[in-house]
Order: sequence, then C-alpha cells, then structure tokens
Amino acid sequence: MSRQSRRIRVRRHAPGLCILVIGVALSASGQTPQRGAGQGAPAAAAADGGGRGAPAAPAKPTPRKPDGKPALGTMPGEVALWLPAGGGGERFVNADTADPSPDKLRMSEVPMQPWARALLDDRIANQLEPHTRCKPSGGPRQFLTPYGVEILEMPELKQILIFDLGGPHTYRAIYMDGRQHPPDLQPSYYGHSVGRWEGDTLVIDTVGFNEKFWMDRQGTPHTDRLRMTEKLTRTDYNTIKYEVTIDDSGAYTRPWTSGFNLRWVANSELFEYVCQDNNYAPDLMVGTQEFVDRTSKIVP
Amino acid sequence: MRHPVLGLVVMIAAASLLLLPLSAHHEITAKFDPAKTTRLQGIVTYVDWANPHVHVFMNVGTGNNTVNWAVELESVVDLQKANYRRDTLKPGDPITVEGILARDGSRQVWGNTVTAGGRRIFNVPEETVNRAPGGPTPRWPDNKPRLGPTTGSTGYWARPSMTILAESGTNIRANKNGLLANIADVDKVAPFQRWARDLFDLRQRNRLADDPQYLYCLPPGGPRQYQEAYGVQFVEDKDHQRIFVFVGGVNHNWRLIYLDGRQQVGQIRGDADNPLYYGRSVGKWEGDTLVVDTKGFNEKFWFSNGGLPHTDKLHLVERFTRTDANTLKYEVTIDDPGAYTRTWSSGWNLQWIGDQELPNFFCQDNRP
Repeated sequence: MSRQSRRIRVRRHAPGLCILVIGVALSASGQTPQRGAGQGAPAAAAADGGGRGAPAAPAKPTPRKPDGKPALGTMPGEVALWLPAGGGGERFVNADTADPSPDKLRMSEVPMQPWARALLDDRIANQLEPHTRCKPSGGPRQFLTPYGVEILEMPELKQILIFDLGGPHTYRAIYMDGRQHPPDLQPSYYGHSVGRWEGDTLVIDTVGFNEKFWMDRQGTPHTDRLRMTEKLTRTDYNTIKYEVTIDDSGAYTRPWTSGFNLRWVANSELFEYVCQDNNYAPDLMVGTQEFVDRTSKIVP
Repeated sequence: MRHPVLGLVVMIAAASLLLLPLSAHHEITAKFDPAKTTRLQGIVTYVDWANPHVHVFMNVGTGNNTVNWAVELESVVDLQKANYRRDTLKPGDPITVEGILARDGSRQVWGNTVTAGGRRIFNVPEETVNRAPGGPTPRWPDNKPRLGPTTGSTGYWARPSMTILAESGTNIRANKNGLLANIADVDKVAPFQRWARDLFDLRQRNRLADDPQYLYCLPPGGPRQYQEAYGVQFVEDKDHQRIFVFVGGVNHNWRLIYLDGRQQVGQIRGDADNPLYYGRSVGKWEGDTLVVDTKGFNEKFWFSNGGLPHTDKLHLVERFTRTDANTLKYEVTIDDPGAYTRTWSSGWNLQWIGDQELPNFFCQDNRP
C-alpha cells in the first residue's frame, strides 16, 4: 500500500471522522476504497513527488493551449488528475485551532446565521454526510475527495467537464458557450454552471443547487438560495488555486470567500470507482425498497 | 393466486392496458398491483418533487379517520417535459387520484390519473417515435463519423428500437423495462444454460423487482446502457484517444472506451481482482463502425433490460455505426460461456434526440 493511500485510510478512520452508521462497517462509507485501497489511490501517490513532506521540485510554468489560455485539463498525450493539495483531509474552511491563513477562513470567521451554526454543530457531532451515502457532491466538495478529479476541456462541445472519481461515478458540466442560467431550474447536486475566462482565471457561476449535499466534509451548510462563484487559476504547472465565494442569504449574513489548492498528479487517470459497490448501509442509502420511507434520520 | 402463471399473464396484459409508464425508473408492476385499482379523494399535504419518481402526499378522510397516502408519479424529467412544475400542486389543494395499490399493502398508490380543479394533471403523453432517416452522417475533419453533437448543437441518443436483449432473428415482445409480454417466450430469448434460463425466468416472474439498478442505483454496464430510458451521449475526446459514454439515467454515470491501443489488462483499475460494472473497453474504427471489445465485468448488475444473467466470463464485442444523422445502429455479440451455450448476437437502433441536453437524472435523488 502506498504511503498516500495509507494516510487516507488513517484519516478516514480517525475518531473524529468515523461515524457509527447503524452499526455497520465504517469503511463502507462513500469514498473509502473497499477493494484494496492500495489499488485505489496508487497512481495518485506514486506520481509527481506526491504528498506533503516530499521535497518540492521547482514547478514548470503554467501550460497554455493554442489560444493562450491556461490549460486546466491535460494537454494532448498527457494523463493527470487534480487532487486536493492536502490530500483527503484538505479543508475548505479551517478549524479554529488552525493558524490564520490568507486564503482560508476559520470556522468562526464564516458569517453564519445562528441556525446554520447550530446545524453545523449538529453535523460535526453526528457526521452523517450524504457523500457517504453515495450522493453526488457539489461545489468545493467535488474537489475534496481523496481520489481527486479530472478536468476535461472540450472546446468542441464548448463545455468543461469535471469527473469526480469518488462518489457515484458521475460528472459535472460547465457550459462555456455564453448561455444564461435557465429559469425554473430543478435544484440539483451540481447546480447549473456557466463559465468564462477572466484573464488567466476560469470563473464559474453556479445556481440551482439542492440542499441534499454538504459543501465540505465538515458540513458547512447551504440552502437552495446558494450562488457559488468559483475561481480556478493554474498558477504553475502543478497547482490550481481554487477560490469560492459563497453567496447564500439563506444561511449566511453576507457573502464570504475561502479556498484551497489542487495538486497536479501526473500519470494518474480516471478509473471506475462506484461508491455503491460495497456500501454496507444500503438501507440507509436507499431507504429500502419503499423509497418514500422517511423513518431513518435525514440530515438535510 | 390460484394459477400463478396464468395470473401473471393476465396481470401483465392488464398492466399494458392500464398503464403505459413512459420511462419509469423501476418496473411499475413490481411495486404496484394492476389488479387492485383505487380512487382517492383528499387534500395535498406535501409534494416531493424529485427523481426518480415524484411523490404527492395526500390526506384522505376526515377527523380521526384521516390517513396520509403517497401517490407515486413519473420522474421530474418526464413531468417537466410535459410542462408540469414543482408548484403545479401545492399543499392544501384538493385532488382526486385513480391508480393501483402497492403490493405490500402500504398506503402507496401509483397515480394513473390525477385530477385537480376539474383538470387532469401530471399526464405524460406517449412520445411519438419518428424513425425517419436524417441527413448524412456528420463527420470529423478526418472523415470519421461523429457519434456526438456537432459544435454548437446539442443532442443525445435514446428510444431504442428493442427494449430487451433478445437474440437476433427472434420476435420477442417486451415492455420498456424488458418485461416479457408472454412469459412463454423465456426460452426463445437467448441460448441460455439451464441455470441462466431459470434465473431469467425467476427475474421475469418477480417483475424485475430485484434489479440492482432499481434497488441500489448501480450502473448499467454492457448493452443495457443503450436501452436506458434517458439515453446516452458520446463525448469523443480526440486529444486523448478515448470516448466517454454518458448515461442520462441511473446515476448519470460515465463509461470510458480507450482508442489509444492499450491492452485490456491492468487498465482503468480493472484486473482479475477488481471486475468492473462497465468492464475494460478498448475500441478501434473499422471503416465507419466503432468496434469495442470489453472484458472484465463483475456480476453485480444486470447487463440487459429484462434481467438476462451474465457471469464474469462475459466478453462483449459492440459495434456502433451512425448510419445517418438520426440513427445509431448498435450491434452486440455476447460471449459468456458461464451463462450461455454459444456465442450469440443482438442489436437495435437508437434515435437522435436533437436540440436537447442529456437528462440530468440521479436515481438516488429522493432517497435519504
């Protein structure tokens, strides 16, 4: 087992993260590889100098496409994924015990409405994240799984596609054709995303979220009023700076911004990971065959 | 039931008359009994506007006799296409529902008709399938056919001309989920080994209720991907010599086909210890046909509508030919010495659904 994947496993099994879900095997949840973690994360770990603690090689400059824009995906012939810079434990909002950071708020600095703060406390105490029940996860959470994402730019389609490896084997589309958000959106996990370039930064504007996922593993709350502005800047070959402004008058007293970095992991590619494959809590996941059942605890 | 086989036939016949579920996520008759019709009048208490099935909850009766019923309807995708919205009904609205009752005796009903304010709502008209050929096959600059939309357009493939995986040359009638119109056709469907024939028969007699795609939202590997109600979209990533196949339904999954000349062993995390839902697929163009060779399947899913069994020995050769702008010809050869007595073939056409995005459907949307 690689060092990286061992670290991920340790993290997932750390007491604070372990949730007793109706007494079933903890490791069955969400993004934890069942069939050989050593097989699951390996490319990620092996590539590119890997995890924290590895000596940092000087990064090459940002690669650019023929149109001069930074490449967020791979150039022809390249194979790579983007992983959270801090691995599976990377955070969107730091704990209050963390050192101050210019790019990342601490939890107490997030301008939560009192109900949202109370909900966050409850989530931290109970840890029943929808991601662990194989729900897709929107916004920052998509970039915060230990297996990372592939960003695929498809100028042919005028779309950028983001494949998240963890979760239910799905993807998110960002429309780059100048379209507007449609009226009467059916709220969804990934929302409706339109993107544009501002200089070297991809700016993604997303609305139409449902309230069925968490924006991060800690459970930072949101409502269906959420408007998310994500800014992705590839600052050098190995790094994307990921910054998000959360504008949600349902849960916060004002918009706020936080973020983290993504790390380029070369020679690592998409593979088939299906969260439901070995989920030992199918009843919790699907509510049994009678799927109008509302008896199990639901954390919105 | 006094005569199970006859009963089933009658029930299926009744089902095909009573309801024409368009693209239900599960076989309706698996959960509801077409023989038990009911009529409910009451007041809406809640509308759960979510895939895979919208539910309207209603109070029926008065005072201490009030009970709450769940009325199951088509998906958000279908209802929105028919111009219904999450606020078409609101709590407090009086409604009348005619439908069929859940087999398990719970207070659930499949809504055949819903009437509010004297007007029928939530009826999803059957789409007319126009299989007229389109214009010439769109092509890439290198003259290869384009399997997806051209730049600036949208579209995807759906409405398979056959809804069950049956051997070429047979004439098997089945509903949209692959439930046989005539259970006596079981032996004609494919050259089954005995155990596989019996398992297929059992799955059919259970009205497909054990379908892992329905129960656990597991991906539809193999030919089933091309029989899904919400279709498929091809994304050809020429820069990296691979093709993604997105599926509109289930969990909006993706399948990868590699055209970069790699071998099947040890790729995309699939090996003998880690068989996959979509298997390990490598493709190449033979003239205007994309030929895809796939091995390395697991046994945790149904690889076809209707529940034909397969084993981890399954080896598929699929051929995709866009014969004109509106038609994708799908041919598949099934080689599974674990479940069948010989190699056999099937195939059908898919229709281009132009100017529409692939439906954004998540099977788990209304589950906790």
